[in-house]
Amino acid sequence: MDTALNIHNPSSVARTMQLVLFALIPGTLVYCYLFGWGVLINIALAVFSAALFEALSQHLRKRSPATALADYSAVVTAVLIALCLPPLIPWWIPVLASGFAMLLAKHCFGGIGNNLFNPAMVGYAMVLISFPTELSVWLQQPTGLSISFIESLHAVFHGGVPAIPQWDALTGATALDQHRTMALEKASLSAINQQTVGFFGASYSEWTNLAYLAGGLWLLHKKTINWHIPVSVLVTLLAALLFHKLFSSQPLSVPVNLFGGATMLCAFFISTDPVSAAASARGRLIYGAVTGLLIYIIRVYGAYPDSVAFAVLLANCAVPTIDRLDIWLNRSTDA
Amino acid sequence: MEETGNTIAAASTDAATSIKTSTVKPNPWKTLLLNGLWHNNPATVQLLGLCPLLAVSNSAINGLGLGIATAVTVLLSNVFVSATKSYLLPEIRIPVYVIIISGIVTLVGLLMNAYAHDIYLRLGIFIPLIITNCAILARAESFASRNPVIDSAIDGLATGAGFAAVLIVLGAVRELIGHGTVMADLHLLLGTDPIPPLINLGENFKGLLVAILPPGAFVLFGLLLALKNLCSSDQR
Amino acid sequence: MHSNKRFIESNKHGVVLACFAVVVATALAFTQHLTKDRIHTNQVVRIQNSLAEVLPDDRYDLPLDKQKIELPDSTSNKNRTIYVISKNTVPVAVIISAVAENGYSGSIEMLVGILADDTVSGVRITKHAETPGLGDAIEAQKSDWIKSFDGKSLAAPTESRWTVKKQNGDFDQFTGATITPRAVIHEVKNTLIFYQSVRQQFYQ
Repeated sequence: MDTALNIHNPSSVARTMQLVLFALIPGTLVYCYLFGWGVLINIALAVFSAALFEALSQHLRKRSPATALADYSAVVTAVLIALCLPPLIPWWIPVLASGFAMLLAKHCFGGIGNNLFNPAMVGYAMVLISFPTELSVWLQQPTGLSISFIESLHAVFHGGVPAIPQWDALTGATALDQHRTMALEKASLSAINQQTVGFFGASYSEWTNLAYLAGGLWLLHKKTINWHIPVSVLVTLLAALLFHKLFSSQPLSVPVNLFGGATMLCAFFISTDPVSAAASARGRLIYGAVTGLLIYIIRVYGAYPDSVAFAVLLANCAVPTIDRLDIWLNRSTDA
Repeated sequence: MEETGNTIAAASTDAATSIKTSTVKPNPWKTLLLNGLWHNNPATVQLLGLCPLLAVSNSAINGLGLGIATAVTVLLSNVFVSATKSYLLPEIRIPVYVIIISGIVTLVGLLMNAYAHDIYLRLGIFIPLIITNCAILARAESFASRNPVIDSAIDGLATGAGFAAVLIVLGAVRELIGHGTVMADLHLLLGTDPIPPLINLGENFKGLLVAILPPGAFVLFGLLLALKNLCSSDQR
Repeated sequence: MHSNKRFIESNKHGVVLACFAVVVATALAFTQHLTKDRIHTNQVVRIQNSLAEVLPDDRYDLPLDKQKIELPDSTSNKNRTIYVISKNTVPVAVIISAVAENGYSGSIEMLVGILADDTVSGVRITKHAETPGLGDAIEAQKSDWIKSFDGKSLAAPTESRWTVKKQNGDFDQFTGATITPRAVIHEVKNTLIFYQSVRQQFYQ
């Protein structure tokens, strides 16, 4: 493995995780600027509970809680979960998601370096499947900081946005969901674009995505992540979208799919988790392509509007096969 | 199949050594029952028949329905195989087992279709698929074809009950976490008037929907296995 | 001599297998004969019950006096199955099969019951693949939403109000799922329009 992350060296892990956290700052700030305190409350809840569950797991496994917490990997997992969740969601959802991520996805498989599945996406997928109603309540217009911190806290601890009637009217589906809905009702793409808001019609999530892209490019520059996975994910997704444009009558917006939802977060921060990704460079290219293709397929044909979590988890399942395929390809080129 | 045979062989030698080391010879029937239910449970130890187990256990009543059907099948197949073992020529024994097991499963399916129609419809394809449950063929080959009828019957009963117990427990846990009830719709199996569930956390219970969906089956069965292994290692 | 012995040996195998097969087949034939009538009754009752679900409880005695017909729907170019329900040989209601093609994930199949006065007596979903926890509230077991069609007709509410409340219609939407209820509402309306076009074939 030629990534900078050496999981047997805790200080190296901590350094990498710190860089990843730094790279997430621009995206987090933009997200907060658009949707207010709810984002920070989600992050605080997820990080606090992830640390608690990590310490608990270490205790149950008769290891020192302090060493596990010192490598920041639980913090990165928690922040990724929080950034996938809608702001002002009931408090127990980020807590449960962190619990699933730490207890089930990470420590049941043997802790850092041994997890088959991306812990953040396991946690997020579990709450997405269990509480689809709560996770589909997104603020439609950027509220900025107009909702005060105290009000936000009140909402989070009293049932989320629907607890406050005047905000409930402001909620709606995400841009991806709106596009899917209108496309299913056979609206034309221009009609859909008139209905959706934001620079590309991605309900302002294009700005957070651009900030994630900037953070991701900085990580590439610092050589914390390799280029293979992000490039492969984005190129495959773009190719699938263009293919769809050419051969399908169902309207679909390429910019919304590329810069909406969690696309950039997935390409640079989620699928690049070195433990649950393929090992070799060629393997990572295949892994990224599988992820990108699945994102497209599930978004267009699946039962959930955004598909990043399911795409990453399914690609994780394919990793052992990809690694074998890679060995087989090496042998056949040597022979 | 070969692997299955090995596990069974290993398990039975385990049982044999434990019998030897104990000073008082335990009741052989009790050993058979304990093996089927716990030490050599088809689902949690041999990991056989997991496809129907995971697919059907989304409620306790579904688990109970398939559990009873499987238990009756393995009991009858063990008895039938054991009673006719002198005719079982080595070359054709596997086809004979298949005839016997598929006949019994079809018979159980017809009876369920007639007397528990709603459960039969809910279990759907998993009733005929009982035929493919390796645990049944494994008991016929490794036990019933070499032991007396009574012992085979007890072994079949224990294996069936062991499998049914796992189905019911997993079904009850998934139903409780996902729906907040345990044993809802029991009347579908008994053909009586509606019976209230054993446990009901009420209409406002907000369950983890994932528990009754397929991913929940894998996660909860994994946790159930962990619990079983924890208990077994404590006993040792 | 040797080949003869092998011939006898394999014949023996065949005979034993055949004996087992005959015994099992006899047992099955016997059970099938015993359960045949009961299974048939179960199946009839099940169809009756699913039809009776979309009719008012009190007015119809089981077994329903029903006549099954197929008619083409000119708007979708597909055949629809129609059950004409009679009481004392007088037609009193029809039950029409309907498929909403544009659910959130795939098509939604349903039965729509319509009384002789052109009002909806009930709608039930028979098959769907909507998101668990969101769109599946269209099932009668999951919520009472599907009962909001009872008593509605093309005249009331007026055509523009045959949609969700968010679009100034008469029907509730679900939090997080607008497409599923809208697809169902749209298809029930289509079914009523189709019913108007063929109505005189059932009632004289």
